Amino acid sequence: MNVLGKLMRNPPLLTLILVVAVLVIASLTLRGFGSYGHLRYIMELAAVIGIVAAGQTLVILMGGIDLSAGAIMTVTAIMLPLLSPAFDPTGLIGIVVILAIATLIGFLNGAGAAWLGVPPIIMTLAMATFLQGLLVIVAGGSAVSVTNAAVIWLGQGRLFGISASVILWAVVSVAVIVLIHRMPIGGRFLALGANPVAAQLSGVSVTRHTLIVFALSGFFAGVAGILILGMNRQGYVGIGEPYVLTSIAAVVLGGTSILGGRGTYAGTIPGAILLVTTTALITVVNASAGWRSIMFGTLILGLLLISGREARSR
Amino acid sequence: MSALTSNLYIAVQGRRNRGLAGIYLLVFLLVALYIFLSPGILSVAGFSKFTQNWFPLALVTLAQALLMLNGGISLAIGPMVSLGAVIAATTMGGALGVPGGIVAAAIAGLALGALMGLVVAYLRLPAIIVTLASSFIIGGIALIVLPRPGGIIPPWFSDLLAGNVPTAFLLLVLVLVAWKIFLMTPTGLGIYAAGDNPVGAYRSGVSVDRVKLMAFALSGLLTALAGLFVAAQTGSGDPVIGTPFTLNSIAGAVLGGVGFLGGKGTMRGAICGSLILSLMINVMFFMGFPPVAQYVAQGLIIVGAVAIPNLVARWRRA
Repeated sequence: MNVLGKLMRNPPLLTLILVVAVLVIASLTLRGFGSYGHLRYIMELAAVIGIVAAGQTLVILMGGIDLSAGAIMTVTAIMLPLLSPAFDPTGLIGIVVILAIATLIGFLNGAGAAWLGVPPIIMTLAMATFLQGLLVIVAGGSAVSVTNAAVIWLGQGRLFGISASVILWAVVSVAVIVLIHRMPIGGRFLALGANPVAAQLSGVSVTRHTLIVFALSGFFAGVAGILILGMNRQGYVGIGEPYVLTSIAAVVLGGTSILGGRGTYAGTIPGAILLVTTTALITVVNASAGWRSIMFGTLILGLLLISGREARSR
Repeated sequence: MSALTSNLYIAVQGRRNRGLAGIYLLVFLLVALYIFLSPGILSVAGFSKFTQNWFPLALVTLAQALLMLNGGISLAIGPMVSLGAVIAATTMGGALGVPGGIVAAAIAGLALGALMGLVVAYLRLPAIIVTLASSFIIGGIALIVLPRPGGIIPPWFSDLLAGNVPTAFLLLVLVLVAWKIFLMTPTGLGIYAAGDNPVGAYRSGVSVDRVKLMAFALSGLLTALAGLFVAAQTGSGDPVIGTPFTLNSIAGAVLGGVGFLGGKGTMRGAICGSLILSLMINVMFFMGFPPVAQYVAQGLIIVGAVAIPNLVARWRRA
């Protein structure tokens, strides 16, 4: 009983156990689910969610939310082929340029939140709407194919049998966990999320950290957009849209409080894998689009009820 | 005594209107521009058509404001509009007829809204995630009820709601009167109180969880009925017709000065916000903006509407 109680108070561990259980049961009951190829595919999909959710985790830890992450991913996926110059066979210039743009968009979110005093939820929602309109004007609404070598390698390449995207995710994970738990700035993010007034009175600049955190979120959304483009080999309007819900869900499933100040990226990682695994299970069940949508929403709600509940306020 | 209370009433109302002066001015200017661009609005038919385009947006903005005043939010408004539309389009042509269709849409809205409220209030999940996940569930139900656009609304019913008579406007007035009366009841007042200060409201005897559930249920009802109206307008149902309403409902409420943290804002502000949005979309259409440019403009206007009062307040303090 005591062990169970301790477990319930440790959401990252709880989510990890949940994901292992789901994977083991699904592998034993469904043929081919547990094969190396399929598990690698699940990890590749989880890498995309995990990387967007890295930015989302930082923003939520500071008490904000980023509803524009999906739109930033779409911007990246559509603009990258247009911005990759033909004289650069590696494609790295295009990646650097597009990541700068993604970071700039995130920075603008932060500027709206910090300097104009617009609540993050409105700022990012308005940004998403703005980008949606801008994209159709710029790209004309048609799908674009990618020829950028570096992007295709990131999306489909392998190193010693491990997908490049998963390796990239591992790097991002280590960096974000170190940032949150081993660096002073991570502590300041948490402090601002827990109690902005107290943190400010202790000399932490809200403006500066809001700008940094949203710029980082834009950056990570950009990286995720590059990955999804490399996997699909095509970018189209709406490609990043599903990732708004999944990135937020991954963060909350991992035990991070949506109110900010409490949580860790170490929980978001199993959260992302759990989401992809359950979505894969839904695809196995042969159902119509309507039922799939219902199952997806219900499963997320059900998973959140297990590990994403807020403490009682009274 | 009654003179005192009436003075107090006027003072309270006056204070509530004060912050809205800018919004009223904007409404006035946009209406003037609209009349200049399209004088047809001054005829009965023109007025009816305009109010019909505005009506569903006004209803969903009210639904969103109701939740925001209570400290919640809904990202499931769009799918709920779609669901109301497809339920109306599939039932009204059948044995149940028009009354059956209205009842079915109303029950669906109330029940699904109450369910979301139940999860938010009693299972303590944040409203934003619950409604985001619910948007998939409700959208899925709408797709099952009517997988592709179709169904039928009896033409006489469409003419009654969306013909050349200002039924929509009268219904809107009716809804606003009902809201005023509802605000006089303890539950109505509780929605504001619980949004402003949940702990204080709880100690003053407001059943905060029950009020929250009520807010979600009523909001679901209004949204589903907005969907029913959209179906009457188009004469059929479409399982994804409601999608733009999620953002627009939030935009309308925010434009109208309703705050995110609960307890701050007024319904008249929200109504004006939805009117501004509706006028803006129409004016941009008249001026020949492509539809996608409206997204860009809308994003900018929402940010501006929230940022400018903030900056003015900061500038006054400095």
